[in-house]
Amino acid sequence: MGRFSLERLRAGTVIAVMSVSLLSACVQQAPPELVQAVEALDRRLVAAHGAEYAPKEYARFVQRWVATKERLRSDGDLVGWPWEDNPFETDLRALHEEGSRVLALATDTRNAERRLARSQVVHLERRFRRLTSGVDRIGSRMVLGEKRVETELLVKQARSFMEQGRFVQAQRVARQADQRMTNQAAHLNSELGRYADKVQVDQWRAMVRRTVDWSRQHQAAALVVEKAKRRMTLYRSGKAISSYPVRLGFNGVQEKRYEDDGATPEGAYRVLRMKDRGQTDFYRALLLDYPNADDQRRFQAARRTGAVPFRSRIGGNIEIHGQASRELSQTLGCVMVGNRQMDELFLAVGVGTPVTIVGAVDADNSVAVVLAQMDEDDDTDEDDTDPPDEQDVTDGTVVDQG
Amino acid sequence: MKRIMTMLLMPALCLAVGCGQAPDDKLSEAEKAVMSAKLAGAQAYVAEDYAKLEGMLNNAKTELADQKGKFALFRDYGKTEQLLTAVTAEAPKLIEETAKKKAETKDAAISAHQAAKEAVKAAQALVAKAPVGKDRAAVEAIRNEAKVLKASLNEVQMAMDQEDYLTAQSKAKAVQDKSLALSAEVRGALAKVGSATTAKDAKRAKKKK
Repeated sequence: MGRFSLERLRAGTVIAVMSVSLLSACVQQAPPELVQAVEALDRRLVAAHGAEYAPKEYARFVQRWVATKERLRSDGDLVGWPWEDNPFETDLRALHEEGSRVLALATDTRNAERRLARSQVVHLERRFRRLTSGVDRIGSRMVLGEKRVETELLVKQARSFMEQGRFVQAQRVARQADQRMTNQAAHLNSELGRYADKVQVDQWRAMVRRTVDWSRQHQAAALVVEKAKRRMTLYRSGKAISSYPVRLGFNGVQEKRYEDDGATPEGAYRVLRMKDRGQTDFYRALLLDYPNADDQRRFQAARRTGAVPFRSRIGGNIEIHGQASRELSQTLGCVMVGNRQMDELFLAVGVGTPVTIVGAVDADNSVAVVLAQMDEDDDTDEDDTDPPDEQDVTDGTVVDQG
Repeated sequence: MKRIMTMLLMPALCLAVGCGQAPDDKLSEAEKAVMSAKLAGAQAYVAEDYAKLEGMLNNAKTELADQKGKFALFRDYGKTEQLLTAVTAEAPKLIEETAKKKAETKDAAISAHQAAKEAVKAAQALVAKAPVGKDRAAVEAIRNEAKVLKASLNEVQMAMDQEDYLTAQSKAKAVQDKSLALSAEVRGALAKVGSATTAKDAKRAKKKK
């Protein structure tokens, strides 16, 4: 009896041990290394701005990840048949795969946005430099007025956004600045397009020819001022005797429209009066008969159409003058030469001497060339690719500076 | 017999129906909490965390829909309630985190604004001293630019007022950069005039000798 009980006890123990072993083999838990891998992936997705660069995909991943975490928390251990797959492991593996795909997508998209932003900003800065250097070259900084610095601020803002790693915003501001530059180029064209207009240049050339012919016919002196070249030429008996560099009004290249606009008038004038030392603040001066009948007609027409401010006046006192002092070494629309040149002029000309002021006599004058370059901007741009120090990030581990 | 059966079944049925009530209040509370986080700027300042909060809400909604799809007697909204409570509890943390990030960005924007103000002030002071001997066109342009820079500071302030600190910061940085460039331009011109004056003075002194 005792022997039988012992055997039963042994058998029971074996069965119990086997049962426990079998049961423990059937308990399924989430593999911790897989949980850690998904957690790490999630952190990389945050660094890669997953929500910004792959919003839908990231939202899907996050939703699954949140659900899985909830299951891990609430279900704890599962009991399943040994031949069944561990559902935690299956889910986590699938989640990791999905997360990796989202990370790749976010990284690729971010790199593409970065490249695009960089290319746009580099293109923009180059275009702006070209625009401003062109504008400075032809002395028409004033033509753009406040628009120039407003555009420059946008260019700098686009750069600042890019440096903050905010590529989409950088692109948006870059597009705004680019549009402004296009508008400014158009504005310059409308203000200075006369210099590129063949018919207008032909007319100016004809005006100069008539003046030179007059000089030849009357065996007398005549002066021709070319605004684009900023040069004045003295003719005697139809021959160019001397040529002087000149300064124009602070808005000199533009067509004079009204008083104080800083523009130097264009037209056929004559010396009205010679002002010697003591009669002018500008060393010596030749007063011109501006405004003449053509100027009056143009001004009245502009007033009627509203092209000039209603209360504006046509102005006057346009002179060719010297330079008296540093304080007065500027012009509001006059033509200024050096004092030595003024002395030469004073000897060479007299009251009634024709003075013809034109924009340009060459079709390829400096203003026309700059305007043409602005039109070509988009076609002639150099390669705006990244410099070698700015490589794409390979995943989301690179954190923005901003 | 029929009466006894009814008396036994009714409480059980009532209990079952009572437990199976959809937690609509909790859902609307959770939705409000998520909306508060969004309005606080979580989507812009802590986008990924906000996406997680939305994910939690969506999971709760999925669970809710699953339960609603079941036969009334088998519905159990316990887990849904738990999930919705978690969403509602998580939102304030996110709002706090958003406020922290926002404050950091605001501080950066304030510093950038201050630096821009100082740079504009310095540029204006220099522009007032701009050499008159310089081209009038350039002087006029420089003065205009200084005016625009001062006006741009208002735009920075407007962006700050609208709590758009990222835009304010980038604008302020642009204004500061341009002001410094303008100051450098005027300083260069002043240096030229200074050296020209010194050369002239030296010439005069030589003549006097």
